[in-house]
Amino acid sequence: MHELALALCAATTFALSGPEDSPSELKLLDHAGLTAAIAQIGTAHPGVATVLPIGTSREGRSIEAVELSGAEAPGKPAILIVANLDGPDVFDSAVALEHATQLAEGYGSDDAITALLDTTTLLIIPRANPDAAEARFVSPRWERNVGGRGVDNDRDGRTGEDPPSDVDGDGAITQIRVLDPEGTWIVDPTDERVLVEADPKQGERGKYRVWTEGRDLDGDEQIAEDPVLDTRLNRNFPSGWEEHADDAGLFPSDEPEVRALMEFVMLRDDLALVLCYGAPENLVEKPSSVKDDAKNVMRIPPAGILQSDADMLAVLAKHYKETTENESKRAASDEGSFQRWAYDHRGLMTLSAVLWQMPEEWTEPEPDEEPAEEVSDEEAEEEEEMPDEGAEKPKKEKPPEPSPGAKRMKWVDGSEESWRFVPWKSFEHPELGAVEIGGFSPFALTEPPKSEWNAIAEREFEFVKELGSYLARVELAECVAIDLGGGLWRVEATVENPSLLPLQSRSARRTRTIRPAMLSIELPEGAKLLGGQVQKQISDLAGSGEREETVWLVSIETPDLITVSLETVNAGGATMRPEVN
Amino acid sequence: MLLLALSLTVLQSSDTQPLDGFPGLAAGRKPTVEIAWNRLYDYDEIYAHFDRLALTYPKLLTMEVIGHSIESREMRVYTLNNPETGSASSKPAMWIDGNVHGNEVQGGEAVVYTAWYLLENYASNERVRELVDSSSFYLLPMVNPDGRASWFRDAHSPHSSRTGVMPIDSDRDGLFDEDPPNDLDGDGSIVQMRKYMPGEGTHRLDPDDPRIMNRVPANDRGIRGDWIYLGQEGIDDDGDGRTNEDDVGGYDMNRAWPSMWMPDHVQYGAGPYPLYWPEARSIARFLYEHPNVAAVQSFHNAGGMILRGPGAESFGTYPRGDLRVFDELGEDGEKMLPFYRYMIIAKDLYTVFGGFATWTYEGLGIISFTNELWTNDRNSPDDRLGSDRAEQLWFDDHLLQGAGFVDWHAYDHPLYGEVEIGGFRKDVGRVPPSFLIEEMLHRNAMFCLRHARAMPSIVFEPTVLTDLGDGVTAIDVTVRNDHAIPTRTARAAEQGIGSPDLFTIEGENVEVLAGGFRSDRFRPERISLAEREPERLVRESGIGGRQTLRIRWFVSGSGTVRIRHLSEKSRDAEVEISLDS
Repeated sequence: MHELALALCAATTFALSGPEDSPSELKLLDHAGLTAAIAQIGTAHPGVATVLPIGTSREGRSIEAVELSGAEAPGKPAILIVANLDGPDVFDSAVALEHATQLAEGYGSDDAITALLDTTTLLIIPRANPDAAEARFVSPRWERNVGGRGVDNDRDGRTGEDPPSDVDGDGAITQIRVLDPEGTWIVDPTDERVLVEADPKQGERGKYRVWTEGRDLDGDEQIAEDPVLDTRLNRNFPSGWEEHADDAGLFPSDEPEVRALMEFVMLRDDLALVLCYGAPENLVEKPSSVKDDAKNVMRIPPAGILQSDADMLAVLAKHYKETTENESKRAASDEGSFQRWAYDHRGLMTLSAVLWQMPEEWTEPEPDEEPAEEVSDEEAEEEEEMPDEGAEKPKKEKPPEPSPGAKRMKWVDGSEESWRFVPWKSFEHPELGAVEIGGFSPFALTEPPKSEWNAIAEREFEFVKELGSYLARVELAECVAIDLGGGLWRVEATVENPSLLPLQSRSARRTRTIRPAMLSIELPEGAKLLGGQVQKQISDLAGSGEREETVWLVSIETPDLITVSLETVNAGGATMRPEVN
Repeated sequence: MLLLALSLTVLQSSDTQPLDGFPGLAAGRKPTVEIAWNRLYDYDEIYAHFDRLALTYPKLLTMEVIGHSIESREMRVYTLNNPETGSASSKPAMWIDGNVHGNEVQGGEAVVYTAWYLLENYASNERVRELVDSSSFYLLPMVNPDGRASWFRDAHSPHSSRTGVMPIDSDRDGLFDEDPPNDLDGDGSIVQMRKYMPGEGTHRLDPDDPRIMNRVPANDRGIRGDWIYLGQEGIDDDGDGRTNEDDVGGYDMNRAWPSMWMPDHVQYGAGPYPLYWPEARSIARFLYEHPNVAAVQSFHNAGGMILRGPGAESFGTYPRGDLRVFDELGEDGEKMLPFYRYMIIAKDLYTVFGGFATWTYEGLGIISFTNELWTNDRNSPDDRLGSDRAEQLWFDDHLLQGAGFVDWHAYDHPLYGEVEIGGFRKDVGRVPPSFLIEEMLHRNAMFCLRHARAMPSIVFEPTVLTDLGDGVTAIDVTVRNDHAIPTRTARAAEQGIGSPDLFTIEGENVEVLAGGFRSDRFRPERISLAEREPERLVRESGIGGRQTLRIRWFVSGSGTVRIRHLSEKSRDAEVEISLDS
């Protein structure tokens, strides 16, 4: 608690928008700084930006959204951007904040931004997990991914008694490696700084044990195995929630941040699309999908994105990659994640991007110049005839492929980012004796080099600006009244969705969580509806010009007084009088 | 205040001297707090009964408000405990609730009856006293007080008011609860509508009893009935072409609990996330904060069932050790509750995702039952009178003098024209007639006592000391759980729910050299020695039902040794011995 308090006092600087001709410098802000910066956007752009309170974290920090919107429009759809759900993704919150700043500043001066905000509301939550994010700003640096409750990880009847700590006092919690006959790790043959798991099936015998840096405070010969806190926010949402897992929370929505975010999503029935920054991502690596009509297994729908939605996601992912050229990905389970909940249970098309992951650098060595590897068919036949000859050729040992860690070390070595790896250093550990402490620094694998910050924010912003154009927007493409004689009129209305995305995702049509479009006819006094429904609900309308026609039979003297209206919560709307034929 | 005054009067006026104790035996005995057990009580009367009991037995019964319902009614837990034998939380506790479905009212009375019986008999019945002194009871009579209040206050059918009262847009037209069934004739009952359509109907009236409609069998001879069914009493309030499609609420608080929870589109009524409704959330919080709860009973209606999980087929089966306990109690229940069957929800009833008593077992590791109180089969003790419609009417005619049935009568319906309205009232079918209520309550309360008495009870047998020479003493401790429920259910142990049991030994001048659990009564060397901290043995599986555990410690030193067993679900037990004898 002392550390947290200190951090709050120390970090009072925050990014102010820079001069108009140069892009503002992205900054990583602690909670106080971020809160001030968010407030600043609202104060500086009162007509466009509104700060909305979302909730309060378990440790009492506020969570806020910036709502950005220009002109009002019926059924105006909203896009929700959520960043920093995982504590270490502090950089992502800077990007999201920068989006908010640029949108607020660009409204009225930048045509594209103005058009976007006049047709689409942007809701930006820069930091969904303020408690864990705060660890980025305190010493020792630690990739805190958890908030919430602690559990008795090692089942010894004590909770949180053996947490990670900065044993060597170098200001960062890294790793301990210790020579141990029971160890399961060996050094990567291509880079001795990197450890890989020994493969007993290849005759490899482990040499090291590897621990998160810490003590053995409970004397059980396990290091740092029972942290004080365990729940990871992005594991505490209801879809695919893993009951009784150490990091999943007591129950879904146990974490106040999780509940607040869900309540916000449920409150905003104008939401049409969600974009998350953080893992699990689904824009670079294609997520698993299931057929639209996949059968339930013991009454439970199989996990995965429904095929129709996966197809749309693939199109959006293509646009994303073209616009941003981002190829970063990060392995992560989607169980209990916000992303999965938003899609599975709320039916929202949900995109998620990992903004940066330390690249793995390695090029497979060129094949040998000797033609041994590539043989023509003829030669191959010869070889078959003379197998002995082939065997006699001196075999060249193929150099082993470096492990992913070693490939990342190559990137570190080639960059000017030596802080990202703490060289192993001998240390006399109070419980373990002689050990080495080192390894990748906290945040090293996921936080991009400073030189790339602005470029990343810019490239992501380009994609955000595109997003509005993909959202479903329904229109009354045609509305006519045809005279059938005898005062009878046939009224026809054609609803069209000219955009890319369908009116409702396949998932939303299953969850029934988004109110359908309502097409209704209103008649002046004296007129009578002789055929057709007064109200018709439409939820199944694909994009790219898909149409749905509705017919009414009306007895009326003045057909030009009929009103046909199309109403939605998140896909536009229209009111028309029929063209009288 | 009025109610309190009333109860004081009752106390003062009881000047006759009845025999001690009530009930069970009837002659000459009078309870201190008289409650008529031949009727059902509205929510405020239920609390008033409890308050009278608390006023009469202030030491044994206390109340706390753990939350509020949607309509701000108090969620009250009454704790029945004898503080002279320890705090409620220091003892194994039984949780009993009722009425999660608003129309399943008699669960509330069952909870009151259980408290009343225990309190009235505490002074005179040794067995009751022994049970109350060694355990505690958390009693929540109404999980859904709003639903109960609505059931008493408003016109209902036997099946309505199941939900809570949070407004839900069931027909997704943007309006909430705007098209409920309507009490068209204002008689306080929602019954059925039928219309006379000679030669065009689907039904004909039973020639022996025109109150009964019989469906005309399918035929190719053009034979039709004279009547059609028009469903529940009501009109199309919102003019959307459908009748009664958006009633009050529209969810199910027994689908709201975290274990095996599924969203609304998989499990009707589940809500947007587990524990969404304040009623459920307040109870969950209470149970998470009371790990001493070792038995759970929930009261519903109807059908005459003693239900246990799993609620979902995909869960698989419960661990065998726990099934033995379920079966023992369930089978005793069948004997105590004639007409009740001991059943598995998923297998014998239907799939329930996110049920309460399945969560208290699967999520909290507590042996839990749901009883479905009352069945129409109970109207007659043999098969001369069954429970089809004609037989129900016979029962109503002869034993209720026709009070339970609204005779068909004419009504001028705005859409259907002249119709007839009639059918069974809300308090027929799912609740017993007044004269059978007490038996139902008593038998179910006794089933609770049977379950409560099975909660773990730990005793130390005499400790045996063996001098091993060289100043080393072997201490053989034998500890027994005499009851059927283990201190840690197999489920709790498997999933690491709560804290493991601890066995500790300490003495000022004693050094504990080694210790562990013995696996053989005769061969002390068969022992699984603790790897560390022999003075604090951790046991994930606790002490099983009717299990005897043997521990051997090797100590040196002298003086007094204190040995303790610490468990969340049993009273802490300890024994002191001297090494100096």
